[in-house]
Amino acid sequence: MIQKLERKKMVITGDYAAAYGGMISGAEVVAAYPITPQTLIVEDFATFVNDGITDAEFIMVESEHSAMSACIAAQAAGARTFTATSSQGLALMHEMLFIAASLRLPIVMPVVNRTVAAPIGIWCEYNDSMPQRDTGWMQMSCEDNQEVLDMVIMSYKIAEHRDVLLPIMPCLDAFILSHTVEPVEAPSSDEVAQYLGKYEPVAKLDTENPMAIGTFAPPEYIQELRYHNHMAMENAKRVIREVTRDFARTFGHDYHGLIEEYRCDDADVVLITIGTVTGTAREVVDELRERGKKVGLVKLRFYRPFPREELQKIAERVGAIGVYDRAVSFGSGGPMFIETRHALYGHSIPIMNFLAGIGGRDVMKKDVEKMFEMLLEAKEGKTSKEIVWIGTRGVTP
Amino acid sequence: MYEIRFHGRGGQGGKMAAEAYALAAFLEGNYAVSFPFFGAERRGAPVKAFTRVDDKKIRIKTQVYEPDYVVVLDETLIETQDVLEGLKKDGTVIINTQRKPEEVRLSKPVKCATVDATGIALEVLGRPITNTAILGALARATGRVKIESVEQAIMEKFGARLGRESGEKNARAARMAYEQTLVGTSQGGKEFVPRPQWLPDVHEMPIGGAIGTMKTEAGLIGIGSFVENKTGDWRTFIPAIDKEKCIGCRFCWFYCPEGCISMVEGKAEVNYDYCKGCGICAHECPAKAIEMTREVKA
Repeated sequence: MIQKLERKKMVITGDYAAAYGGMISGAEVVAAYPITPQTLIVEDFATFVNDGITDAEFIMVESEHSAMSACIAAQAAGARTFTATSSQGLALMHEMLFIAASLRLPIVMPVVNRTVAAPIGIWCEYNDSMPQRDTGWMQMSCEDNQEVLDMVIMSYKIAEHRDVLLPIMPCLDAFILSHTVEPVEAPSSDEVAQYLGKYEPVAKLDTENPMAIGTFAPPEYIQELRYHNHMAMENAKRVIREVTRDFARTFGHDYHGLIEEYRCDDADVVLITIGTVTGTAREVVDELRERGKKVGLVKLRFYRPFPREELQKIAERVGAIGVYDRAVSFGSGGPMFIETRHALYGHSIPIMNFLAGIGGRDVMKKDVEKMFEMLLEAKEGKTSKEIVWIGTRGVTP
Repeated sequence: MYEIRFHGRGGQGGKMAAEAYALAAFLEGNYAVSFPFFGAERRGAPVKAFTRVDDKKIRIKTQVYEPDYVVVLDETLIETQDVLEGLKKDGTVIINTQRKPEEVRLSKPVKCATVDATGIALEVLGRPITNTAILGALARATGRVKIESVEQAIMEKFGARLGRESGEKNARAARMAYEQTLVGTSQGGKEFVPRPQWLPDVHEMPIGGAIGTMKTEAGLIGIGSFVENKTGDWRTFIPAIDKEKCIGCRFCWFYCPEGCISMVEGKAEVNYDYCKGCGICAHECPAKAIEMTREVKA
């Protein structure tokens, strides 16, 4: 149970928005281990518990592996759970992520994207969350703190949907969102309670009705279960589109489904972005449009499930597509680039990969401008480059 | 849109000041964003924080490179770095100092506002925490927000954390600073040697980032490079060792996190080039031979 909270506008960090989202969604069990730059989420949630705003069970654990284990057990017992992590913490949790997804437990875990060592860094890179691609978790990125709060609430709605029942990690950029304050509008606790309803587990651990969960299974059984997970992820696309539409009607903030198009209608070229770079890229699109360049932007919100169908439609009407990545799959390319190429198999337009902001380096307006410049060249057939490193000393883009 | 850069030292509350200012601007119906620069800072180390204000949603997510206003919470910072770096033409600098604007020497003459925020903080709060007082000076020098909004923001932000009474005191400090702020023009001509940074390209970057001791254009890098990074100016309190009382037990030597205490003729001695003034030595000394006092800086 949580205290009655009114609708209000606050000037808060992304971490606070994440914690507030989990609290107001009625998370009953929280198990988390602090790691920079996720620490504020744990502190803020602990404060909500301490101040009696929520009576959620806050479990102190000795590691992220244990945090996820505790959440799995609590969720399996029928509780709505919440946790959060970052970087090495997520890496340590890796083993348990598979179990949460395969047991079909709709756990919500904000991940503050931070580079994974070595070297040790605390700034933004997606090499923590993106390698979790195949664990069976849904994964999405936020552009601002409003989206963080809204997305945590929506995460419960999507994850707990009967056709989905998968855990989800809404991601936010280290420091650029986690430690940055900006105005955020929060709904009231009554509105959220009515919107989400109570979590009704399909199966739960119950001493009255004993049940075995996560038992030994020989090859006769596992393939069907994997098919379930794959179809649940495919179903999630439809559910995400429905939930974002419904959320826009209920709360007035429209996130347009798995992707958001910005000035794409008559665009010659589009750049696919993720996370906070999107905000900066919007500014660049507006400036280039004023100079008569027909450029557009696709904000990719979901990395899993991947918005294949949406991107195919866009590919039909533009001359070149660029994909911005803040991580590298060594020996292949940026993770989003690989996905986009796969989704657009059969389309003959140039698809380029731009790697920038790795390790948290600032992605400037001039960097994004360079991406559009190269895309316009690619459309004219003036370049056939595929993987382009922007702002890397000693490497020509 | 306008942008503000706050210069302070770790622990002085520059980040809180930047956030409280954002809240004040928000209370007047603006959109405001504030964020700290996160480096490897510690208490006493020079730190920066930023605020952006606009009448519409702010989408840009880069750091601030060309601020309209620069706020300096700690006067010693204007001696060691060019706080005007990137400041827009016609920009204003707001400095916590007892001096008049005309007595402040910077890299160039600029619109300058000064206030004795430390004095006000000591008088009103009883502690040299200047992050609320300086906001009053910022409001006065720029006219961008009303002092009433600054007071309300301080009450909300500090009141929630430290209690109502403390919130009111901090708001009073801001009001006093607002009333005492002097606006004028600084002197120019102070020269700063820009500190070069070691930025190897992909060919020069050592494999795996493994480095021994390397001499670069930016000084030493790697093993032992800290000897060039003198951290003595981070200090607020300074330890003094009473050689008569020192029993040579080496507790201070053992506990010093900086390793800046050595034993000379059986007695402890502090290397003030590196001592950050944490006070652990004084706390651990069984002979009570070490006293921490507030350091008066030139």
